[in-house]
Amino acid sequence: MQAVTVPACSKDQTHIWADVLAQAVTGELIGALNYTTLAELYEDAAEKAEALEHAQGERGHAASFTEAGRALGIEVVINLEAQYWKRIRSIFLSRAQAGDLIGCILAQEVMLESFAVASYSVVAEAAPGELGATFARIAGEEGEHVAHAIELLQAERARDPGAFDAKVHQMHEEIMTALAEMIARDDPGGHCGLCQGSCVKHSLPDAGISLSEIRGVSLQRYLRTLDEIGVPGESSLVWVAQLPV
Amino acid sequence: MPQVDFALIGHPESWNRAAAVISVLRGADRPPVAEQHVREIIPWIPSRTASRVTVGSSQGFQVRGAYIDSFIPPDRLHSRFLRENLARVRAAAACAIKEGARIVTLGGFSSILLEGKADLLPSHAETAFTTGNTLTVALIVKGIERAVALAGRDLGESNVLIVGASGDVGSGCARCLAPRVKRLFLSARNPDRLKGFASELPTLRSPVMADTDLKKLSGMADVVICAASTPAPELVFDALPLSSIVCDAGYPKNVSPDFVPREGAIFYGGLGQASGGIQLDPDLLGVIYPYSVGNVAHGCFLEGVALAMEKRFEPFSQGRGLITPQRVEDIWQIAQKHGIGLPPLFNGAGSVEEGMRCLGRGVPQ
Repeated sequence: MQAVTVPACSKDQTHIWADVLAQAVTGELIGALNYTTLAELYEDAAEKAEALEHAQGERGHAASFTEAGRALGIEVVINLEAQYWKRIRSIFLSRAQAGDLIGCILAQEVMLESFAVASYSVVAEAAPGELGATFARIAGEEGEHVAHAIELLQAERARDPGAFDAKVHQMHEEIMTALAEMIARDDPGGHCGLCQGSCVKHSLPDAGISLSEIRGVSLQRYLRTLDEIGVPGESSLVWVAQLPV
Repeated sequence: MPQVDFALIGHPESWNRAAAVISVLRGADRPPVAEQHVREIIPWIPSRTASRVTVGSSQGFQVRGAYIDSFIPPDRLHSRFLRENLARVRAAAACAIKEGARIVTLGGFSSILLEGKADLLPSHAETAFTTGNTLTVALIVKGIERAVALAGRDLGESNVLIVGASGDVGSGCARCLAPRVKRLFLSARNPDRLKGFASELPTLRSPVMADTDLKKLSGMADVVICAASTPAPELVFDALPLSSIVCDAGYPKNVSPDFVPREGAIFYGGLGQASGGIQLDPDLLGVIYPYSVGNVAHGCFLEGVALAMEKRFEPFSQGRGLITPQRVEDIWQIAQKHGIGLPPLFNGAGSVEEGMRCLGRGVPQ
């Protein structure tokens, strides 16, 4: 077994990484639940199997983050009831209960995965040693999910562009609004339920993480994904402009 | 594939203007976004269609187009961001091709970045790219003619200074005005390029004078055309004689907002007006052009529109040094045919036409 290098980390920084990892692990576990739900919505056996595989992958990511945290002496907090993640899961479940497969794919594979890939990439550059490598590796793996969804969504859009774009807008207003509030400068809904003390967002620069870069990279990746699917640029621009800041 | 007649590639002129655009897109029911937040977000937005454009011809028909924003951040209009900005312009050009545009205008810094190297753009057999600079030159020259006439002066007795004279627009203005003015002064940052160009130009009475010393030249001019590639409005002309006329045709604007010509007048040049109307959806026209004069747009944009109206899908303006008086006259005739012409002279404070007349009557401004 390869030895894990544990870089020096100040107490304050350990506190920051603990909160960052709590977000990442909880997000991955919500992703695992969403993929499990998606598997139930798919009729195609191969798609079902793939969704279950993705769910397993998300659990694996959560385990990797947890292990990387332990190497830094961090016991990662998991809270599936944390307000933003609970809200996202609730939106996802309501679409699943309505049998809205496309809405669920948009939520998980376009919006949440775009956010994960982008935010992990930014964090990977700042995170010390093995933790940084873990974020970078998982960002790469999450990116593969997005690629898979794009083809399916392009075909769906080709059938009825107007209805498809309306659905994207609806999911955007729900999921992207929750994500935008989560990474806004301040928490409009109070404590997120994951940070161990006060909100970690104000301390992120101490660990070399820029929240505005996370916001920017996430939006860029999301807009590019929508462009690839075929959503008109002027529509997605308006949607993004209307997000909470 | 969508099909539009034309596409206009642009970028925000200033942070203030970018914030105004984002506020319009957010809608009146949401709180406006602080400029600081806009500064954080704009650099991440990929090039994209920002607005649908419809322009009416005076011949009784409309052309449809797309305004594509490359979202080059206003504080990155420097050569050190060349590679990043070129990538943005290329991505915007790819959007224009995806839109099915037959003619695409490279507005503002987009054409300056390319320096006429159209081969840096993605190619498509059905899409032609034009810098739009020939109509910009036409509108600047017509604006100068009008300003001088309103002031009751003779263009042939005017001493004209062109700032940014080695650029495509500046050199085009110089070719048009050199035979028509008393003295022509040329200013640019590159002295070798400037002197080589100056020696080619004929004038009526005295040789063209070229110098990088803007203060020295402005002390001898009574008309100034600003067509420099400055990333911010920073020019001041303290040495300018009384009652001078300044035409700011830069994008972004060249002249510092704090500068007021002593007993003179300043107007925005290179802008045209479409009598058949310009509509944008979302309606960004009022924030891109927050002026008292309606249906105005930059000459470069309107060149693409005029060519689309004329169904001349060709790279009319191709790069530095190719704008001649004949080409200027050709595009002016096309524009006029479709009701695109010179608006009443104005600046950010409103119309300056009465002010120009006052210059002629010797009334202090």
